[in-house]
Amino acid sequence: MSDTAHADAHDHHDHRPTGWRRWVYSTNHKDIGTMYIVMAMIGAIVGTATSVAIRLELHEPGIQFISDFQFYNVLVTAHGFIMVFFVVMPALIAGFGNWFIPLMIGAPDMAFPRMNNISFWLLAAALVMLVIAGLIDGGPGTGWTVYPPLSNADYHPGMAVDFGILSLHLAGASSILGAINFITTIVNMRAPGMTFHRMPLFVWAEFVTAVLLLLAIPVLAGALTMLLTDRNFGTTFFSPAGGGDPLLWQHLFWFFGHPEVYIIIIPAFGVISQIVSTFARKPVFGYLGMAYAMAAIGIVGFVVWAHHMYTVGFNVETRAYFTLATMVIAVPTGVKVFSWLATMWGGSIKFDTPMLYAMGFIFLFVVGGVTGVTLANAGSDIAFHDTYFVVAHFHYVLSVAAIFAMYGGFYYWIGKMSGKQYPEGLGRLQFWVSFVGVNILFFPQHFAGMAGMPRRIPDFPDAYAGWNMISSWGTYITVVGAILFFVVLWKTLKSENAAEANPWGVGADTLEWTVESPAPFHTHEQTPSISTQPAE
Amino acid sequence: MTKQPDKIKRRTTVTREPKTRNGVTAVILFGLVAGMTGLAFASDPLYRIFCKVTGYGGTTQVAEAPAKSKIVDQMVTVRFDANVNKLLPWQFKPVQNTIKVRLGEQAIAFYEATNVSDKPIVGTATFNVAPFKAGEYFNKIECFCFTEQVLKPGQTVQMPVTFYVDQSIIKDRNTVDVKSITLSYTFFASDDQSEAEKLQTTQFITDEKDTIISREVVPKG
Repeated sequence: MSDTAHADAHDHHDHRPTGWRRWVYSTNHKDIGTMYIVMAMIGAIVGTATSVAIRLELHEPGIQFISDFQFYNVLVTAHGFIMVFFVVMPALIAGFGNWFIPLMIGAPDMAFPRMNNISFWLLAAALVMLVIAGLIDGGPGTGWTVYPPLSNADYHPGMAVDFGILSLHLAGASSILGAINFITTIVNMRAPGMTFHRMPLFVWAEFVTAVLLLLAIPVLAGALTMLLTDRNFGTTFFSPAGGGDPLLWQHLFWFFGHPEVYIIIIPAFGVISQIVSTFARKPVFGYLGMAYAMAAIGIVGFVVWAHHMYTVGFNVETRAYFTLATMVIAVPTGVKVFSWLATMWGGSIKFDTPMLYAMGFIFLFVVGGVTGVTLANAGSDIAFHDTYFVVAHFHYVLSVAAIFAMYGGFYYWIGKMSGKQYPEGLGRLQFWVSFVGVNILFFPQHFAGMAGMPRRIPDFPDAYAGWNMISSWGTYITVVGAILFFVVLWKTLKSENAAEANPWGVGADTLEWTVESPAPFHTHEQTPSISTQPAE
Repeated sequence: MTKQPDKIKRRTTVTREPKTRNGVTAVILFGLVAGMTGLAFASDPLYRIFCKVTGYGGTTQVAEAPAKSKIVDQMVTVRFDANVNKLLPWQFKPVQNTIKVRLGEQAIAFYEATNVSDKPIVGTATFNVAPFKAGEYFNKIECFCFTEQVLKPGQTVQMPVTFYVDQSIIKDRNTVDVKSITLSYTFFASDDQSEAEKLQTTQFITDEKDTIISREVVPKG
């Protein structure tokens, strides 16, 4: 977000667009990254509003505000789609990825700048489609998993689910094009001397994520198309009456859906590696282990999808395989967690806000991860499937861990992106309020789930009242944390403190810290020398 | 510039311009996308083949008469289960509840279906066996489930199933304990009702000016 003073200094051969054209026609990786981050913030406000509505209703037993249960289901569905596709993915992958991949590898921009622009506007169109879906014909009350027969024409007549399918197609296209851009950039445009084993771990993370996107999203696209034709053109892929099977949808969806959650968390791993090494003032322990652990998580993530389907009637051998394979993923994940700890061990740690978020991530991701190992067991999952135990698990790894990585990345990089540094005291307060809030919100949900509370319900028996009330109070505290975040953002952008090129000192040794803050519109126009880069 | 350590690879083998390299990379990646999309659409036939070959989920085998298995003296009980989808106004039940049959021996069983509505309807049946692991050894030679059934209003038909249980079921460690196999069918209204429509015709009722004021679907003949 450079201002005109910088533009004059760097504007030579081509005109730099101004006004609305700068944004709508942008081919600049920093501006596009900024647009994605702004979209993620807007998505976060809407997605949080849906979750507040849900938790307000669940504050007490009985029906308080939402007596239209279709509407409740639509809120649950919207919450899931918005948070996954319009908050976490645009922030961690498209936002930080677009901003920092070229900066970190010494490239002047992405491989395909115009395709980069289309990726963004496809996602914006997808958001519009999703909003329309929610407003017509009762909305899609299917959950983000969109299982038929509920999502089929018999039980969701009207066009709401069709608009939802269209929205996901556009979002999927956006991600596929973005993935092609990222992979091509990382494979072909690294500065001379920056081999794969000298890339920052954040770039490794984005590379693995892009490959996962490329392989997983087309399967979702195929499944969505089959559902669309089932609903509108008389096919029967998912309808037993025509020889189809609803289970086919589940296989296809989860073949995409499981890699999708690694798509969400692996960029977060990359952000955390950058932050931890900067604030411990040491290189990350075991660089190769970290890089290939991410690759291993990605690969194994493709052969575990049926752990979302343990209750459909698989034979015991099938369930045994998926239990085993799912547990295997804990091994490379453990390599990463121990490596972060080993990075901090013996380091000279500065507990600034990004580091607080990174340490919070490590601890709380482990909490979420171990409940994942519990759920990996096909046997115990018969009791846990579709209960709040599952909800608690994935919110710990997503709504706590991934969001902490987003907050952490924001605090770490906002100086570079905006040229202004955030106020440290307020940042730490925002961290602690959020930390307390999310734990009060999600920890009690483990107990509700173990006691048998199902998910996706607007009302529950009195026995679950206690845990639900505590969880709802946690929501309100988390919302205060989110509001504080916007206060920090406002104060940062309005502040008088200019950020230095490198505010973090010797621990920040990747290439983005060698350019000015804010990063000029064009950077690395001369390929940089990378003899000072980390790792091998 | 400082001396580069020996282990850094130099790109001496690259001969293409950056733009072409990017283009080639992009084409390969689009190819991967197309491949995965194709695999997703291929999942329907691929899953069918998988189930047919392995008998997964109780998928039965199709065989030609006569039974290709030798007959052994061991008996197995075959039970018959019948279900109807709630949108299909038919009654459907097995004529016999159980049959005891030797392994490898061909047997015939009957199901009876009645159309209790006032319109002809086309129905199709889905089917499997339980326990699922027996599916690989349960062979159907003739089955009403292979074709659609059209029933006129009030019509009752008896439908046969000819089958045998392959004697190699006792040779498999996993299925040697199977003493009873349940064959289950569920009838649905077919999506394609054209055969039923051929049995009907539309009658138009007109007023004295020959304007159509209403219409009614009635059986032919």
